[in-house]
Amino acid sequence: MPLPAPLTENQVYHGCPEDKLDFITTEDLQDLERPYGQDRVLRALEFGAGIQADGFNLFVLGPSGAGKHELVERFLSLHAARQPVPPDWCHVYNFQFSDRPNALKLPAGEGRQFKKDMNDLAEELRTVIPAAFESEEYQARLQELQEEMAKRQHQGLFEIQEEANRNNIAMITTPAGFTFAPMRKGEVIDPEEYKNFSDEEKQLVESKVEELQKKLQQTIQQIPRMRKEVRERVHALNEEMVQLTLGGPIGELREKWSQLPDIVDYLDAVREDVVEHAEAFQDSDNGPPAGLLARYKVNLLVDNAETVGAPVIYEDLPNHQHLAGQIEHRARQGNLYTDFTLIRGGSMHRASGGYLIIDARRVLTQPMAWESLKRILSSGEIRIESLERLYGLVSTVSLQPEPIPVSVKVVLLGDRMLYYLLSHYDPDFLDLFKVEADFEDDLDRNDECYDLYARMIATMARALKMRPLERSAVARLIEHASRLAADQRKLTAHDRVLRDILSEADHWAGQAGADTVEASHLQQAIDEREYRASRVRERSREQISRGVVMIATAGEEVAQVNGLSVLRLGASMFGQPTRITATARPGKGQVVDIEREAKLGGPIHSKAVMILSRFLASRYAGDGELSLSASLAFEQSYGGVEGDSASVAETCVLLSAISRVPIKQSFAVTGSMNQHGEVQAVGGVNEKIEGFFDVCKEAGEINGQGVLLPASNVEHLMLRADVRQAIAEDQFRIYPISDINQAIELLTGLEAGKPDDGGEFPENSFNRRVAERLAKFAEASKKRDSNGDANNGGGRDSD
Amino acid sequence: MAMQTMAGAGTVTDAPETRAGQSNEAGRVLVLLDGSRMSYAALEAAAEIAAFTGADVLGVFVEEVNLLRSAGYGFAREVGASSGVSRPFDPAGIEQRMQRLASQARRALAGAVAPHGVRHSLSVAKGHVIDEVLALAGPGDLLVLGRVGWSSAPGARLGSTAKGLVHRSPGRVLLWCDNRALPQGRVVVFLNDHRDANRRAVQAAAEVIRHSRRPVTLLLGAGPDMPPEEREGILRDLGIQESDLHVRSLPSTDPVKVAGILRQERAVQLVLSRNCTLLQEPGAEQLLMALNLPVTVTP
Repeated sequence: MPLPAPLTENQVYHGCPEDKLDFITTEDLQDLERPYGQDRVLRALEFGAGIQADGFNLFVLGPSGAGKHELVERFLSLHAARQPVPPDWCHVYNFQFSDRPNALKLPAGEGRQFKKDMNDLAEELRTVIPAAFESEEYQARLQELQEEMAKRQHQGLFEIQEEANRNNIAMITTPAGFTFAPMRKGEVIDPEEYKNFSDEEKQLVESKVEELQKKLQQTIQQIPRMRKEVRERVHALNEEMVQLTLGGPIGELREKWSQLPDIVDYLDAVREDVVEHAEAFQDSDNGPPAGLLARYKVNLLVDNAETVGAPVIYEDLPNHQHLAGQIEHRARQGNLYTDFTLIRGGSMHRASGGYLIIDARRVLTQPMAWESLKRILSSGEIRIESLERLYGLVSTVSLQPEPIPVSVKVVLLGDRMLYYLLSHYDPDFLDLFKVEADFEDDLDRNDECYDLYARMIATMARALKMRPLERSAVARLIEHASRLAADQRKLTAHDRVLRDILSEADHWAGQAGADTVEASHLQQAIDEREYRASRVRERSREQISRGVVMIATAGEEVAQVNGLSVLRLGASMFGQPTRITATARPGKGQVVDIEREAKLGGPIHSKAVMILSRFLASRYAGDGELSLSASLAFEQSYGGVEGDSASVAETCVLLSAISRVPIKQSFAVTGSMNQHGEVQAVGGVNEKIEGFFDVCKEAGEINGQGVLLPASNVEHLMLRADVRQAIAEDQFRIYPISDINQAIELLTGLEAGKPDDGGEFPENSFNRRVAERLAKFAEASKKRDSNGDANNGGGRDSD
Repeated sequence: MAMQTMAGAGTVTDAPETRAGQSNEAGRVLVLLDGSRMSYAALEAAAEIAAFTGADVLGVFVEEVNLLRSAGYGFAREVGASSGVSRPFDPAGIEQRMQRLASQARRALAGAVAPHGVRHSLSVAKGHVIDEVLALAGPGDLLVLGRVGWSSAPGARLGSTAKGLVHRSPGRVLLWCDNRALPQGRVVVFLNDHRDANRRAVQAAAEVIRHSRRPVTLLLGAGPDMPPEEREGILRDLGIQESDLHVRSLPSTDPVKVAGILRQERAVQLVLSRNCTLLQEPGAEQLLMALNLPVTVTP
């Protein structure tokens, strides 16, 4: 197999030629109307926003900072502007069941008018009704009525008194009632004198007194009934007066709102209620009680008077109350009171007929909010209930407002993991959120993209109100976008990162007193970001340069190779070399992964070690038995090790340990390997190469060092300028490898060797040395086994 | 009701300041107490008047002899005024009740005058109420009493005692009833062609407004006009501004119409002479019944 040529400067970096950009500064470019490269999301939004069927709510997936919110809001605002304005909703008093306020629907913008009409009516009632009760007519009729009834009451008693007087019996009033006694000339006869009356006379008097008493009793007992009659007649009179008084104002309102039957019904209920409470309006000095008039108010829950098109609402704190509304209370002298005017609508109310944008993570972290949201979406109506009531923590009487029907398209914004978890664990989720709008992380980089990407940057720059960017700065940003995407053929679509770099570049341009952002400002922004995040990286490099962490960048060593790893800390990542060592001796065909044994290795790493172990067995043991007891370790690694990107390095170091052939320490190796020895792509190649380059530079001059990396990773390279410089000067080399044999040859300088038909490797080839050493291991094992059998009667690896 | 004079049935007075019997002494406020709610309201009003005028208050409590006698009959029963239930009625019981009412009246009197620091006494007598009161009252005394007492029949607006005293009292009588004190209410005075009676009424009104500073309405029963000099004289007597005086003539003496006019004028008190045509008319009693406000009747 021919050895690969080291990569050239152009192969490790995809520069952006300025001639591809046809402008001087970004001021010359027009804004993008549609977000660039997000066609999938836009089509999903278009579909989701347009479809009417139930359950077609949207979930917009993408990493945080991808600009989901802005894109969705912008798209929906445009889409909603063409749609009809939804109706207004208000709560009014329920005169039949006072704890269940009614909901009324009005055409958009008419809620305010209705509210004002009812306020005016209440104000009118406050004066008009007392005036009616003050009127001559009413007072005269009331007086007549009262006089008549008083007379009837009095008449009964008067007649009894008259009858008593006719019979010479006095009707005397007592502190608590009446009594009868015989009299003469208007004077009650002395009881002593009465004793002298004849029995006949006495009997006459006493029977008359008894009769009068009975009559009096009957008369008095009729009084409550008469009083009731008076009350009823007065009430009827009051009702009549109020009916007549109300005819005007309520009649006008009925006429005005005649096209809305619900409003007309409500007005009729108001009239009946006023009539029923006519007496309460009689107090002309203090007016009717405020509580009574408050019942005729209108609580305008949803006011769409100023809404243009369908509403697009973003709820930044999507808790249960903010979504579904709540019933507030007023504290008065230590007690809490509520009424229908204290019902507050939620964002679901406001968004009804339009769109509600919610952050998925936030809604999931608020108690009951997710359940409430689902409940509203499944039932199609909003029922306002307090959280304490939902939890069953309180049982005090409160309001149960009439549920309001709702038709809202909910757009959840969240990262992909959340979407997949919800799909998996919440059985309702896919029923309610049927439209998935997946954000692109990266955009294709081709000749057509430059213009659009530049316009996207120009749009962003204008939105940030920053200085315009020079063409060179845009070119540098495009290159950096490829680096961020870790791909020469891609550009990052990560909104936040690009905005941050632009803002920072603008800052540095400002510091430099420039009117435009130049490439140097942009580079400064990138470098400053890098520097701010570099503390841990520098400490780590210092450990290597001081020899605390041992990394060799020159010479040759048996069973020792430089692997490459990547560390991610917050938003930044960096690469650094790690020494991988191996041991090999005869044994039972096992490769001990020390990382795994120490529970520091992850499952993917373990899998890679198993693959390499089977690769060894199949390539070198052939039909025979692999007699090997080997171990692999990442030296001075105290954290976990995960991933398979070290499997090429591990294979090489293990083969070096078996064959005793030294490995060049000027190389670092990355790449994963399959069971056939083919090298496969890995991640983080830019950081790994730059990490090794920095270590080499700190160890002395760069002179012939290099990195072996999978050939399939070449198009992911977007290396730093100083690395490119070293490559151009042929002081630092990057070899793209596709097979383990290439790695062996580059690292050892020996020919790897292909097996002939008999499975024999060529003389003096590296593989021959490995095979021979393994054959020796096998022999040694066999001898030991037979000795062991003879001596001990048992065979076991003595390791 | 059947009650007539039975003087000399016995008068008992108490308190160190007692001046019962000195009926000729001018300027006392006599208040008739019978233990009814209205009589206590009248007591409050009397105490206030006394506080303004500096007069003494003499409470009068009379044990009605007819009542005591009627309890002496073995067959006597008391029929409850509200319930209509018939209960036994005996002398010992009524005696006790009377004593209790008298001591309540004494406490109420002391309590009502205490905030005003007015001298007071209570006269407890046994006899006929009207006679006893007339025996105590002099021409200079103001007699204050509730329009109805406990002895009123349900529905009655004017008790028999009030009726009797209005006609027979030597001095002014204030028939008290609880009403709403309108902030801008006026004192209404009825005038007719009886000059002396008019003078007395105006004088009484002047006393009423001296402290309350209320505006006055004159209702003319005699004719549509009032000579300017007479009007000026009245203004002088009342001691008020021209703007605080209304004069209107009374188109009719129909009690309902009169009551309507009084409402229009926002009357809070009515002053009229006993000789006034309104009180002479057959409907006078009805008028008093129709008016739900305190009425001062001058001799």
